[in-house]
Amino acid sequence: MRHAKQASGRSLVELAKAWLVIATQSVGGGPSTLYLMRRELVDRRGWLTRREFLEDWALSKLSLGINQIALTAMEGQRVAGSRGLIVALAALLLPAGAIAATVTAGYDVVRSEPLVRAALGGGGPVIAGMTIGLAYTFAQGAVRRGWRGWLDRGYWAIVVAAGLSGLVTPMFVIFGGAVIGLAFLRGEPRRASGEPEAG
Amino acid sequence: MDALGLFVAVLRAATFSVGGLSSLPLLRESLVAPGYVSEAHVLEAIAIGRLSTGPSGLYIVSLGYFALGWVGAAVALLAATLPPLTLVVLAAFVRRWLLTAWAAGIVRGVALSTSGLLVATGIQLVSPVGAVQVVLAAIALALTIHGRVHPGLLVVAGALVGVALGMI
Repeated sequence: MRHAKQASGRSLVELAKAWLVIATQSVGGGPSTLYLMRRELVDRRGWLTRREFLEDWALSKLSLGINQIALTAMEGQRVAGSRGLIVALAALLLPAGAIAATVTAGYDVVRSEPLVRAALGGGGPVIAGMTIGLAYTFAQGAVRRGWRGWLDRGYWAIVVAAGLSGLVTPMFVIFGGAVIGLAFLRGEPRRASGEPEAG
Repeated sequence: MDALGLFVAVLRAATFSVGGLSSLPLLRESLVAPGYVSEAHVLEAIAIGRLSTGPSGLYIVSLGYFALGWVGAAVALLAATLPPLTLVVLAAFVRRWLLTAWAAGIVRGVALSTSGLLVATGIQLVSPVGAVQVVLAAIALALTIHGRVHPGLLVVAGALVGVALGMI
């Protein structure tokens, strides 16, 4: 296994520069952010081995909330300890958050313009379709192989129906999912955690 | 809504979700239902998230802005940052346990639940529907599952169709 360069020779400024590149160039969300993380940290700078990166990526899929924030924190910590964690998070989230807020502020000024409303009229259904598509691919990644996969798909279909009915609160469904998962949906820990086979 | 209320709403949504957009059903429950933001704001926030940089979950920043301006954006970013950090602490102590079948079962149950709720949310976002909206949503759904088209391009293409057809 190839080993990553040692952390001692690395400055926090260099680390911040790497995460700034990721924060400012990763247009489009998760996949492009992940691609840039790997390019900057593994391929270009050699701070992490491919295996280290994939292991952290697999673990980050267990994270509460935004997975890539957890991944960023773990990678920053691997590269330069707790100071690296703080620098990586700040260098990713402050610019990306500022960009998102600034774009939103600009949009807010023009949002009542007829042209913008027409654009949303077309963009809205596209976003809804993308949301459904993302949710579907997300579920596919969690489904097990073989007959147990049908159990997972059946549970998922019940949740969709429950969500559409509005008869149960999301919190109830999510807590119920944790309990049902522990009782009936165990197995295949490597795939469930997203850990790739190679690397 | 005050900053603390927004912080709690985002923190709750991020804590009980797995993955960026999966916090949407809970956020919708906390912010749209009481009228702090509208359904249109939700769609706009997701679009801006897709056209901006960084993780897709940062649509939360836009939603925070729509709720409380710049303060809301900052509060939402802070609240969304905290839950993922628990994994760093957990990984330091029980990294091996996190990759067991038991942990995988819990995560699978939560992941299937949040993704199912997200599908229901997406369906609710596209309604009330006309034929054009259904076609646009279906095309976006197919292309997203296929995964070969940049999400930003999809949003822009949909917006151009909306302008061309005068879909106000």
